[in-house]
Formats: sequence, C-alpha cells, structure tokens
Amino acid sequence: MNYQELAGKLLHVAERLQKHGNKLEGDLIGKSAVKLATDVEQFDANLDGFLASRKSGELLLETLLRSPAAKKHLSLDLLRKALREACSKRLKAEEMVAAKREFVETVHELDRADAASKFLKHAFAEAAYVAPAGKEKGQLQQEFFALGRLSEEEYATTIAKRTFGELRRLAATNMIRFTDKTTKPHLIKMIRRYARRLATNLPSVAA
Amino acid sequence: MSAKVLAFINFKGGVGKTACAVNIASTMAKLHEKKVLIVDLDPQSNSSLWLLRPDRWREHVAKGRRSTFEIFDDAIQGKDRFNFEESVIKGVTTWTGFVELPQLHLLPASVELLRVEDRIHELRAPAVYRILDRALRDHIDRYDYVFFDCPPNLYTTTKNAIFLSDSCVVPYVPDYLSLSGFQVLAEYIEELRGKYTDSAGERRHPNVGAVVVSHYRHTGNVFRQAINELEIMLSQLRDRHILESGAGLLQPFIRHCVRVAESTSEHLPVILYAPGCIGAQDYSDLTQNFLTHFQNRK
Repeated sequence: MNYQELAGKLLHVAERLQKHGNKLEGDLIGKSAVKLATDVEQFDANLDGFLASRKSGELLLETLLRSPAAKKHLSLDLLRKALREACSKRLKAEEMVAAKREFVETVHELDRADAASKFLKHAFAEAAYVAPAGKEKGQLQQEFFALGRLSEEEYATTIAKRTFGELRRLAATNMIRFTDKTTKPHLIKMIRRYARRLATNLPSVAA
Repeated sequence: MSAKVLAFINFKGGVGKTACAVNIASTMAKLHEKKVLIVDLDPQSNSSLWLLRPDRWREHVAKGRRSTFEIFDDAIQGKDRFNFEESVIKGVTTWTGFVELPQLHLLPASVELLRVEDRIHELRAPAVYRILDRALRDHIDRYDYVFFDCPPNLYTTTKNAIFLSDSCVVPYVPDYLSLSGFQVLAEYIEELRGKYTDSAGERRHPNVGAVVVSHYRHTGNVFRQAINELEIMLSQLRDRHILESGAGLLQPFIRHCVRVAESTSEHLPVILYAPGCIGAQDYSDLTQNFLTHFQNRK
C-alpha cells in the first residue's frame, strides 16, 4: 500500500462512517473505533512532525539537502551563495550543521523554498557535470595508438623527434604513471610497451 | 508524455546492467520527479529480485503469469492473456510495509523466460523482434523513461528490446574482456540499423547512446588505463560511423561500493537504502548527467 492508497481508504471509511455513524452500536465496533481513533491521533501527530515547516516546495528543499548530491557537493560556501541568491541574506553560521539549520530556517521564514531548491538543483547539476575532453587529449590518444602500430625502427625514429616535455604529456594523457625522476629513455620504453599493448588489443577497430 | 526507451545491454555478464538500470531509475524517480518503468527481461530476474522480496515476487509471477514471460508466451501460443495493469508493480515496498517511490514501476521477469528461446521457433509470424513492441507500445508513453534490463546475450528477448528502444546503454567494467566484447556489440547493433520496421511501419535505428562504467576502483593505474583504451576505441568506432557522434562515455564512473551490494539483500535501491554512501553519490551524479545526455538526444 502507498500513501495515496491509504488516503483513498481513509476517505472511503470516513464517508461510510459519516453516512452510517448514527446506526452503529455494539462492543466489537466500539472497541475497534476506539483503537482506530488512537492510531489516527498518533499518525496525525507523526504526520505533523514530518510536515513541520514543510510547505509545498519545501519538501523538495529538504530532500535536496539530504540527497547524495548534497553529501558530495554541498559546502559552506555553496550554502552561503544559495542563501545570498535565494533570500539576499548573509549566512552567519560557520559550521555545517548549524549553517544548514540557519539556511532552512531563513528560507522558510522568507518563503523562498522554491528559489532555494532551484538554485541548489542547478548547483548540484553543475558540480556533477564533467566537461568533454579537449581536442588535444583526443589527438594524443590517437598518436599513442599510432605509435603502438609502428615497427621498432619506425618507433625509434619517430620518438627521437619528441622533446621530453612532449613525451611526458603523451604519457600523462594516456594514463602512464611516471615520476619526476623518470628518465627520458625509461619513459620511451614505457610508452612503447603500453602503446603496443593498446595496438594489440584494438587491432580490428583501426582496420 | 513521450518516453525515452533505453535498453541496458551487454552480452558480457556481471558488468552492472541491473545495478545501473535499478539505481538510475530510482534516482530519477526520487530526485528528478521522473516516471520510470523498468522492464526485466532477464530469466535470472535480477531487477525484479532487487526491488521485490522473493516471496512477493514468486507470488506475483507464479507460473510465469503477470511477467515479461507472459508477453512472449502469448506470442508463441497465440493467446492474449498479458494484462499490463495487472502485471506492473508500482513503487518499492520498504520494510515498514509502505510503498515509496510511487513513480517507479516494474514489469517483473520470471525464470520461465529461459524457455522462450527453445520455443520461439514455434512462432510462425516473421517479426519475432516485434513481440515487445506489440505488447508495450500503448503503455510506454505514460512514462518519462522506460528501461529494459536485458539478459547477458543477444537472443530474442534482447533483440526485442533493441528493436523497441531509442538507444542502448552499455554498462561496462574497465578491463580487456569488456573492451573486446564491446566492439562486437557495437558492430552488432550497427548491423541492425535500418533493417527493421515497427508496427507503425517506421524504420528503426538502434544505436549505442551511452556507455556507463561500474565496478571502478581508484587503486593503481589499471582502471585508468582501461578507461583510456575504451575512450580510444569509442573514438575510432565513431570515426568509422559504427557509433554515432553523440555516443558518450558518461561520468562519473560508479565506484565499487559494498552498500550497493548490500542493498540487493534489502530489496531496495541504494538511494533508499544508503543515500549517503559513495555508490548513491555516484549514481546521483551519473543520473544527473544521464538525464542531460538523453534530453539532448532525439
């Protein structure tokens, strides 16, 4: 059962109760009615607790603040910016839990939940976005693949023309690990090894 | 409403087809107010068992009824028993007994799907790839997204899903075995392009719309190199027009997360079970980029 179905069921019971209430009598229905009244009262209190300070739009804000995206991307700086943009207010708290509380209270006070939700949604989407690799990366990847298809002699001739800086860029782009102490001859060997592996693994694609 | 229909497909097993379909769909429903239908086409019924407790699933799909098997069984036997409204399960039942994510719907699978391949030759009609199209066409447009969770093969059920889909999403584990399989899959889907017509007489153009990476680990350099190799392959397949120019490698990569594995035993998507874990965070960002990517496509 979901909450909409429960609402429908309660309405259905309420309508029947209203229509036939005057005719109901006996222990069984009476005890059951007392139990239902207690449960409904308890449920109503829980619902109040849940909906406290959550008007339309504010529920979305609460969901956003508790979302996995918030856990990953929400910072004090972002909260400050969100409050400034949505409410034109300055965030005073310097610690995350207090800042979140102050943020929610201010937003609710000024009835700006929609604007705050919109800002956070946009900010989380921006934070999740990964820009496509530039043209240079693609060129270095293709060059790396081409190097793997060369014979030993061709490779030696081609690679000799590259500066150490170019080789380091080629290696870094193609995820070959090296350190500041890695020498040029060693880097040339590593590039050869991984480029050949790549050419072996992707032979028919280039055909 | 016009649904985006996507097939989660890879004929290699264990690459995260079900995990991606279930968790992206759930995140869409929870955080983006999207109405999503997951259609489980795998006889292993993993999407179904992720979102339903075993007793409930067994009861719902008893003897293959109210499941995707019934669609194929009807086609083979020339019957018309499948009823979408009775078969689809709305929302996810939490341990309180109440249903959450009412925007997420599931059309479950049953193990009887295993029999479909053995019996499909009994079907006289030539268009075996149109079975799902005929059964679901009238229902899918009430959703924002429809996801087919395909079995790890390219047989009849998968072909049906490819045929009905606007795009394929390929879940991928960064290693060489996945790399070699991916090329075969991309070429296979390219071969299907324009070959089939749907019930409205329109040519279908299945394509790989996106690749998503799961089981990613930051340790060492192995996974980074494997991703580099995949990027180079994607670029070359695009150059050869085997992949369309918009076929993208979506980020972030889904990191290995024990809470995601655990959420299967709880029969809950990770966004409900452990919304703070790294798996939920990765799926949250991936879903955001997934929506942007597919909103910008046809």
